[in-house]
Amino acid sequence: MTALPPPTGEPLAVEDPGTPPVPPGVGGAQDWQRLSPRMLLVHPVRALMSMLVPLVLVSIGANQGDNGVGLWFVVVGGVLALVFGVLAWFFTRYRFTPEQLQLRTGVLSRKVLTAPLDRIRSVDLESTPIHRVLGLTKAKVGTGVDSTQIELDGLTRDQAAALRVYLLQRSAAADVEATDPAAGQEPGEEAHGARAGSASRRGQDTELARIDWGWLRYAPFSLSSLVVVAGAFGVLAQFGDELPVDETEVAQQAWGWVAAQAVAVLVAGVAVVVVLGWVVLSTASYVLNWWNLRLVREAGGKIRTTRGLLTTRSQTIEETKVRGVRMTEQFLLRFVRGAELTALATGVGGEGTARLLPPAPRRVVQEVGHALLDEDGPLTMTLTGHGPRARRRIHVSRQWGTLVLAVLVAVPTWWLDVGWFGTWPWWLPFAVLVGLGLLNAVVAEQAWRNLGHALTDRHLVVQTGALIRTREVLERAGVIGWVVHQGLFQRRLGLADLTATTAAGPERVVAPNIPLGLALDLADATTPGMLEGWRA
Amino acid sequence: MTVTQPSSLPADAPLQEPAHQVSPRAVRYWALQGFLGAVVVWAVLFAVYWFVPDGVRQWLGPVFVAVIVYTVVEQALEPLIRYRRTRWEVTGERVFAQTGWLSRDQRIAPLSRVQTVDTERGPLMRIFRLANVTVTTASAAGPIRLTCLDTDVADRVTAELARVTGQTRGDAT
Repeated sequence: MTALPPPTGEPLAVEDPGTPPVPPGVGGAQDWQRLSPRMLLVHPVRALMSMLVPLVLVSIGANQGDNGVGLWFVVVGGVLALVFGVLAWFFTRYRFTPEQLQLRTGVLSRKVLTAPLDRIRSVDLESTPIHRVLGLTKAKVGTGVDSTQIELDGLTRDQAAALRVYLLQRSAAADVEATDPAAGQEPGEEAHGARAGSASRRGQDTELARIDWGWLRYAPFSLSSLVVVAGAFGVLAQFGDELPVDETEVAQQAWGWVAAQAVAVLVAGVAVVVVLGWVVLSTASYVLNWWNLRLVREAGGKIRTTRGLLTTRSQTIEETKVRGVRMTEQFLLRFVRGAELTALATGVGGEGTARLLPPAPRRVVQEVGHALLDEDGPLTMTLTGHGPRARRRIHVSRQWGTLVLAVLVAVPTWWLDVGWFGTWPWWLPFAVLVGLGLLNAVVAEQAWRNLGHALTDRHLVVQTGALIRTREVLERAGVIGWVVHQGLFQRRLGLADLTATTAAGPERVVAPNIPLGLALDLADATTPGMLEGWRA
Repeated sequence: MTVTQPSSLPADAPLQEPAHQVSPRAVRYWALQGFLGAVVVWAVLFAVYWFVPDGVRQWLGPVFVAVIVYTVVEQALEPLIRYRRTRWEVTGERVFAQTGWLSRDQRIAPLSRVQTVDTERGPLMRIFRLANVTVTTASAAGPIRLTCLDTDVADRVTAELARVTGQTRGDAT
């Protein structure tokens, strides 16, 4: 195992004149700092909240005649949680050295987390309602290389604001130093640098987007709230057994007609409740998450989003680390011309994505996306499809699932005459075959119609998806390699899955089932020179 | 309509294969590795066949025979086809590797974006004096594996890659 030295061999010049001083209130260099002592109030509240449910359960049990042992367990558990929280606060310290942000943490096993200051690419601030009452903020600091972020939970609001400005200015100053001579061979890299430069030279904040409450009408069409509603419905289903549905069988003979009416009314009622619940919940979650949304391009080339009603969030990413955007149009949103916008970036933690806009009008999403990309077209342009062979491949591969399921149904229907299987009618496999076949044909046709790619001056554009149409726009300079994959069937048809690898977002952009000639032309045009000598 | 189908497609000329083949000893290594895997499969099949009741044996038998025939055919064909198709090349500024025996996987990355170069020798590989070289970039989707190189070649490639990528500045993203 030979680990290479990191691409930047030596630490960058520390005393460059552009480095701003450590902000007051964050603490001088070299000094180990504790998080705000006000966190000592947050921990009891959190401990209480985590105790609340067991406490209620236990006290109900106690009322029913149990002895109070359970109560003691809960109280002791709560006190332990409290003590542990205080100890955690006591043992958590951070400091700034000229090169690094260091965090020491852990009560029993100590660990030290470090982030080189000139590699810091994103700073996220988050305040839950408890934090906000106490004037506190949780800061998460991300570097360009690791996907883990350093968490400072419990800075005062002023400290956090100063920290954000300081860290991002510091890394921006370092980037100017490290103008990369080797990057000259990458297409668009100069253009990229020029863009970041022009953005910082503008020297003022520009607002790219702001919440418009007219967008609230898109909330019920967002599928992300489906999870919430499904969860609520699951809880309701627990009580569902109590509903008098089974008794219709008992009353079948005398009250058959009445019962049928009752069932119909019940079903209609449940449907109305589900739809209403859906609308209310999705709207509420939209308001909670996206209250006061502002998307701003700050001086110095940074993209900042702020949002949230109860828990407020602020996310700042260096614009040079935003390598592209993703526009998602879900099945339902497409009917009402809505879409969502996400940034693909490096060093923002998690999936490498940052949500920029809630479900909003597609036109707005396209405008904001273009402003962010600094190029018009990628989100509106007509794409090149992948042709008839791709259509054939997509349809055939989709129908394999139909065939397998039909066989799985056919075996018990025709050959296993035991128990419940014996009641399955002989035509069931055919019904599955036709029904599922049609459904899959529709989905495959959608997938093929949505499938396409394009190349602009600075971006690679790929659109995929059947039910959820996704258009990914990736900066050409962000492409760090290619994978051309051909399965056995794809080789016979001359198709390939073309993957552009990148450090940003989900670390790949895949154009599936693209004719091989188109694929290689696209790769060659996106990154001139990378395939040189290997094109036939 | 956001997608239009192309009226004509360019010729589907594939990429030229990378210049170098892997070590010829890789054929024997793959054969042995495949054989060991197949022995395990056969052992499991025989054990199952031994313990199931007669009624089940009747229809399980043909299935097992089919599986055994498939593994034998695979044993005979796979190493040779794999040897023909597995190729690699390192030019001055790029790495290119091709793998797969039924499917085909071609991976290219510029050396300026390479982050680490790992060499790996399993116990079985050491018998045949073989080594894998894995080149990773900042993308989880893009590691490039040069499989079953002669150990001397692997060492030379690793040293060369380390030298070239060490000169790169920036964080290679």
